[in-house]
Amino acid sequence: MPLSVVGVSHDTAPVEVRERLAFGASEASQALLSIRREEGIQEEVLLSTCNRTEIYLFPSHAERSRSVVERVLSRKAGFSEDAVRQYLFQISGEAAVRHLFHVSTGLDSMVTGEAEIQGQVKEAYERAATLPVDPPMAGPVLNRLFQMALSVGGRVRAETPIGEGSASVASVAVELARKIFGSLQGKRILILGAGVTGELIVEALAREGIRGIVVANRTHERAVELARKHRGHAIPFEQISEALRSVDIVLSSTAAPHPVLTRSIVRDSFDKPRPHPLLIIDIAIPRDVDPAVGDEPEVFLYNVDDLRKIVDDHVQIREQALPKAAGIIESHSEEFRVWYSSLALVPVIRRMRKEARRHRDHELDRLLQGMSHLTEEDRERVREFSRRLVNKLLHQPTVRLRKGMARGGGAELVDAVRFLYGLEESDGPPPPLFRSEDSRAEVFRADEIEGNQRAGD
Amino acid sequence: MIHFAAFLLYFCAFVLWVILLFRGARGTGALLASVLSAAAVLLHALALGEFWLTHGELPLVGPGAALSSLAFVGGVALAVMLPMREVARVAIALLPVIVLMQGAALAVGIEPAAASLDFQGAGFVLHVGLAFLGLQGLALAFAAGSLYLIQHHELKEKRLGRIFFFVPSLATLERVGRIGIWLGFTSLSLALVVGWAWTVQHRGSLEISDPKVVWAVVSWLVFLGIFGARRGRGRTEYRSALAAVVGFAVVVGLYLALRITSGGEGLFL
Repeated sequence: MPLSVVGVSHDTAPVEVRERLAFGASEASQALLSIRREEGIQEEVLLSTCNRTEIYLFPSHAERSRSVVERVLSRKAGFSEDAVRQYLFQISGEAAVRHLFHVSTGLDSMVTGEAEIQGQVKEAYERAATLPVDPPMAGPVLNRLFQMALSVGGRVRAETPIGEGSASVASVAVELARKIFGSLQGKRILILGAGVTGELIVEALAREGIRGIVVANRTHERAVELARKHRGHAIPFEQISEALRSVDIVLSSTAAPHPVLTRSIVRDSFDKPRPHPLLIIDIAIPRDVDPAVGDEPEVFLYNVDDLRKIVDDHVQIREQALPKAAGIIESHSEEFRVWYSSLALVPVIRRMRKEARRHRDHELDRLLQGMSHLTEEDRERVREFSRRLVNKLLHQPTVRLRKGMARGGGAELVDAVRFLYGLEESDGPPPPLFRSEDSRAEVFRADEIEGNQRAGD
Repeated sequence: MIHFAAFLLYFCAFVLWVILLFRGARGTGALLASVLSAAAVLLHALALGEFWLTHGELPLVGPGAALSSLAFVGGVALAVMLPMREVARVAIALLPVIVLMQGAALAVGIEPAAASLDFQGAGFVLHVGLAFLGLQGLALAFAAGSLYLIQHHELKEKRLGRIFFFVPSLATLERVGRIGIWLGFTSLSLALVVGWAWTVQHRGSLEISDPKVVWAVVSWLVFLGIFGARRGRGRTEYRSALAAVVGFAVVVGLYLALRITSGGEGLFL
């Protein structure tokens, strides 16, 4: 199968290189057009995320594909081709199909099972498919391949726990907050400490709609700075007990050598009924929150070890899904291989049917000339009979041919059919697949042939 | 026969929700469970309709028929929740209540009332309908409350496993429970007023020792207890959930006790 994927990923290149090779939407389109212009490759899709930049090429010659991509990527990154080469990987043939399925299901992601990649694959495919060029960038093969990759991704997510749970400390914090408060829209958070440790968690919570951000720090100026960054407000550290009354979440990451939030401080803040429980996330080491605070009935206290344990548990759940996910990928890879093999049959089947039609028309003409007494209705019946007969006679060979190709019959089977039906004399060598502008139509016609045949039966 | 089919569908829907709890509610599983639950409610409605057409009376009198109608009101509450993805999962706690009610109804026999009633007509239908709505409001609060306690426990124990993922958020459960309590309290209060007004008008006085009056009044007091639990310092949501669970258990326990002590006689439920 002359399919290749060439690119860089988190496995082959460090982030400094990956970020130089990340393509925006318009840059990706330009790159695709330049590859076609310079190399005449018919089908291309460029997938670019923060963890990978990959170009899928069909039909491709292994060496040529690599040098094309080297050139494109070196131009993008501003490196020499030699410098880019050391980070490149290339996968060809059926392994490239499997690779894309692994990517779309998140099995090849840095965080196994992450869901975002599915959307990014879809975006890459749609960008290629909608580029106004003829023939289309996502032609018959890549079109089918990416459609199948998206469906494999959906199936794996639906049938396995690959995407279950959160696999980072920040997303666990968000998950916890959601399970306590439902929507986080308008919820308030108190940040203790103005360091950068909790930054990811604050950003993740802010994306969920957390609005009231209150920052308390021993050095008030740093609290003001952090509050300004998150459009919150700063309070003196001594006022945290008062602030606790009105917030829903506390994120603590001070560098204090002793607990800054004790049970008595928390209790004092609960002198009025609270509308909701209080979630406290303590990611400081040593811990900022006295563990006894967790014994307060309306407090859910999680420290950094708790969060890491949850992440580990979730990663374990995802890893348990790997064998089943791999099985799904394998069966779809096989399905794609079978589909692809059947493409070689298209011209043979077309010729076979064309020949049969020619013989039928010839014999029909002879028959009907000698039966002038037949009414037009009867003549139509005879024509219909001949059509049905030819379809029935060709149905079994067509089905068997497809099965044979699926089992790996390959070129010998095609040659045998050509020999048996005398097709090599009338048509000459088979045309290469997808070299003409009609390639896509040709594939679909093959499906139509099969459909008509069923209808004829 | 249709009643039994509805019971089976309720049971199958419950089993499916339990499977989803342990295997993860991914893909079309949750949709299938919702469809099955809705089909059970629809079939139950058909069964009650058939009862009405066959016997010429609404299935509100006699233990079997009344229990089935009470279960159906719970089914309607369930059907309302099903389109809401997260809330639909309360089904896992509400369905067992419905299954037990319908099972009990089938066990005692869903038959028309043997005795003629002196309290009939629209007033009776309104009284019984409101009372059923009140009791199912409490059942809904019980279902949401029990899930709240489970989720609270999971969060306290820091176990973010299958139960954590399946059970809705505390805020959602609190909201469902609150709706159940207010709906139940309002309906039961109105049912009591309608029943009291009719009794005073036609009989001159209310028989306080009548088991159904005792039960209805205690049920109403249980609602007051739940409202009381929602007041005061801290843990209001938790106390409310706990009170709903305990309150429902009290109402069910009292019903069983009254039925046993009254020798299974009488028309009430």
